[in-house]
Amino acid sequence: MLDFEGPCRTLESPVKIMRIIVCLKPVPDPKHWNRLQLDPKTRTLVRKGIPSTINPLDRHALEAALTLREQEGGEVLIVSMAPEDSQPVLKEALAMGADRAVLLSDRMFAGSDTLGTAYVLSAGIERLGEFDLILCGDETIDGGTAQVSAQLAEFLGVPNVMHVSGLEAFPEKPWLVRSQIEHGYMVVEIEPPMVLSVVKSINTPRYVTLMNILEAEQKQIEVWSANDVTLSEPWAGLTGSPTQMADLFVPERKGMAEMITGDAKEQAAKLADRLHRLGFC
Amino acid sequence: MEFKFSDREELLRKTVRDYAEKEIPPYMEAMEETGEFPVELLKGMGQMGILGVITAPEYGGTGMGALARVIVLEELGRVCPAIPMAIQVHHMCTYALGTWGNEEQKKKYLPPLCKGETMGVVAVTEPSGGSDVAGIQTTAKLEGDKYILNGRKCFITNSHHADTWIVIARTGEGGKGLSAFIVEKGFPGAKAGRKENKVGLRGANTGELAFTNCEVPKANLLGNEGDGMTTAIQDIVQCGRPGMAAVALGVLNGVLEQAAKFANERTLYGKSISKLQAIQWYIADIYADLEISRLLTYRVGWMIDQKINCAAESALAKQFACEAAARSARKAIEIHGSYGIMKEYAVQRLLRDALVTIPAGGTAEIAKLVMFRQALSMFGL
Amino acid sequence: MTDRIESKIWVFVEQRRHLVAEVGLELLRKAQTLAKPLQWKVAAVLIGRELGALADMVLSFGVDEVLVADDPLLEHYCNQAYVRAVEGAIRQYEPQVLLLGATAMGTDFAPRLAARLRTGLSAHCIDLDVTPDGQLLSLVPGWGGNVMARISCPKTRPQVATVLPGVFPVPEPGRARGKIVRLNAQLQQEDLGYRIVETKREEAPKSGLETAEIVVAGGWGIGSKADWTRVEELAAALNGAVGATRPPVDEGWAEEKQMIGQSGRTVRPRLYIGLGISGHMHHLVGVKSSELSVAINSDPKAAIFGHCDVGLVGDLKEIVPPLIEAIRQYSQQEPE
Repeated sequence: MLDFEGPCRTLESPVKIMRIIVCLKPVPDPKHWNRLQLDPKTRTLVRKGIPSTINPLDRHALEAALTLREQEGGEVLIVSMAPEDSQPVLKEALAMGADRAVLLSDRMFAGSDTLGTAYVLSAGIERLGEFDLILCGDETIDGGTAQVSAQLAEFLGVPNVMHVSGLEAFPEKPWLVRSQIEHGYMVVEIEPPMVLSVVKSINTPRYVTLMNILEAEQKQIEVWSANDVTLSEPWAGLTGSPTQMADLFVPERKGMAEMITGDAKEQAAKLADRLHRLGFC
Repeated sequence: MEFKFSDREELLRKTVRDYAEKEIPPYMEAMEETGEFPVELLKGMGQMGILGVITAPEYGGTGMGALARVIVLEELGRVCPAIPMAIQVHHMCTYALGTWGNEEQKKKYLPPLCKGETMGVVAVTEPSGGSDVAGIQTTAKLEGDKYILNGRKCFITNSHHADTWIVIARTGEGGKGLSAFIVEKGFPGAKAGRKENKVGLRGANTGELAFTNCEVPKANLLGNEGDGMTTAIQDIVQCGRPGMAAVALGVLNGVLEQAAKFANERTLYGKSISKLQAIQWYIADIYADLEISRLLTYRVGWMIDQKINCAAESALAKQFACEAAARSARKAIEIHGSYGIMKEYAVQRLLRDALVTIPAGGTAEIAKLVMFRQALSMFGL
Repeated sequence: MTDRIESKIWVFVEQRRHLVAEVGLELLRKAQTLAKPLQWKVAAVLIGRELGALADMVLSFGVDEVLVADDPLLEHYCNQAYVRAVEGAIRQYEPQVLLLGATAMGTDFAPRLAARLRTGLSAHCIDLDVTPDGQLLSLVPGWGGNVMARISCPKTRPQVATVLPGVFPVPEPGRARGKIVRLNAQLQQEDLGYRIVETKREEAPKSGLETAEIVVAGGWGIGSKADWTRVEELAAALNGAVGATRPPVDEGWAEEKQMIGQSGRTVRPRLYIGLGISGHMHHLVGVKSSELSVAINSDPKAAIFGHCDVGLVGDLKEIVPPLIEAIRQYSQQEPE
């Protein structure tokens, strides 16, 4: 019964519990990318029939959030900007252990670039109120721009660190955050609230268990449209976004390689001969 | 009619797939070599909820049901069919306990089975034959507060790793003279005997269980005396045959993947062999076998969850899927040419695995007998 | 008051402890090429503490202006302080284009700055172009390199882009002709969102990749750690270095330092051999300067065959052992 002894903080004032927000992006499952097609007319990617999944690095962000909650207490909220049919992906995040999920979904958000996305996310987070920590994956596997976390921090006016590979939280003093840089890392002292984006090496995400799947069915996904948040600036959506996709194409090939044919032994002999004649062996 | 998995079922499949793809491959080489089940995996599968998929939450399971169980076994089998072979027999043990066990028995045996702290087995088959349940010769004589078991069970999956054995033995004459017992590995006179050396599903351990004046407390009678026949048959219909069908689905998934990839990559005369019609037809056949087997097997899972009698459907799914796995593996080997019989290529293992699914859980002939009776009953015959 | 700044393309030249990241210099030369038809001037932006010598060094790369934000509070990198150091000058002098290297620092500084300026940013570019009316077009690989996007930023200025290191060659220094302009940063302690308490340079692992004349790299198609020895044996037979794509590193077959491509190293060998590599752009950007490139892959449709000089379709287990054998035999022969 040790848990109930010592200073009972709840009696003095409502204790502020740690609130961790994880920004999560549903992305087309990379296992099925070979089925991606480029529509030659609209110059957009046809991703029909390709299932969505949690962006791989966001899974590490969520794991970091869950670990921190286990150590320090608190709650973990998912915030995502995505089409409404992404709910199964958020369900998986809830099954991993998040407490609640907010899906920002509105036709006017579609086509947002990173500035637009960060802006919409910041509007959703502002409606949620105070937070201690926002965790993101360092980059998404589809766009791969790795820009949203820093831009989100800028919109929210809080500090951010990217490429985070380690995190130590302390109740009464600055946290220590390790960030990977070229040929090494740096450790920074930083105080909440903050935005961190994590790299793969920070942890190993847990599996969703069958029990978790059942528990998640009791958890809520709230869907917020543009009317549910305050958007005073014009950056959301395709028309608001400052960057535009001028063109989308399958990379030009240098021209097919000269193919060496024959059975394996013949191929090997021909290549070795060529390398020999060029002086490589 | 709804031919669509729910969000829950889709997430379940994804979850088990993630788990299986990461956790199982490191063990596969040793499984093939030693013929041993990697017991190290049990704890993890317990934490995942895989072992308790058909056990009620009060006893440490998730109670997700038979359809969920098929999904779980299929996904484990996509990576390595020997794993669901062992797990499906483990499930049969949890099914028997959950269905016929009294409160005390369920509380004692189910939680550790669900957690993976113990492994389970159901032992029906004897050297005289497995399908002839009425011909069981192992005896159980009540002496005071103990049953004394004598006899031998053979071709028992998980034999040497299992801690909790559901054993069918004779307490009287004829079909009504069979009873089921919960035997712990450590009971005096209980012993795992000969270990078999199978050609396929090598990672699922198979062997004998021997009983020599084995003392089983009276409290370990499962259900009532004389219920043994029902226990054995219902466990096979509700759990064993759908489970074997799901193992076969695992094989079929692997076969289709290997066949498609090899056909796509292998070139002959400067072009991919997937351009050859003979190869295309093989792959179409394998695809059809997989899809038909899935429909049959998932239907049985659904029927069990709906509590609809499915003896014939269960037999059909099992018989069809296991035969389909074997013939599809043969076709995949044809596609591979000489590579198909080389140990480095997975298709030869898949054929061996498929062959082992055929007699397990009741031979094709017995399954056909059940189907035959069902066919006749359609005409009131 | 700072001097008037005339440059229309600004290039951020990153430094840590007065060591300049080469990508900054690569971008300076590219910026000069882009600026020429438009008769724009090019500036380098240096941020840090006590940068006098560094500013002179950068000037020798022929830029028109070196903009220096020099402040004790800028000694260590902090994105918010860096933003503060340049945003005033950007608002005042309205450069058209701002380029940064896609390094750990650049990928963190650029989005924060672009968001502050409410302008567009394209990331991890592998090529840049400027239209006659001054629009920056950045080429960006997406979807693991399966597609390429050309990104523009029509409405807002500056047009910001981060560019992968090693995409453009490092220029040689020449004659200095420009001038140094000091930016008046006026930083406060509060501008620092965090404080760096430790920087650890892990012993730069040597893979010999960057300088190797011959590189043999393996990909996912190798199949297992045991099969990975084939990559090493072939490299050894050719006296070359071993490289890898991301999956073998993730799987633990190869080491992090051996990774080639967007998030790894860039190589410029005379001979590159790719084994079991499908040819995602993320890897190919790291090998595109190879003189002769050879690919061996079991999938005839692998993208790499569209990017290399010589291709072999077949099973690596079948082709590589006799290839190693033949190479060893040639190597043992006396020179003719």
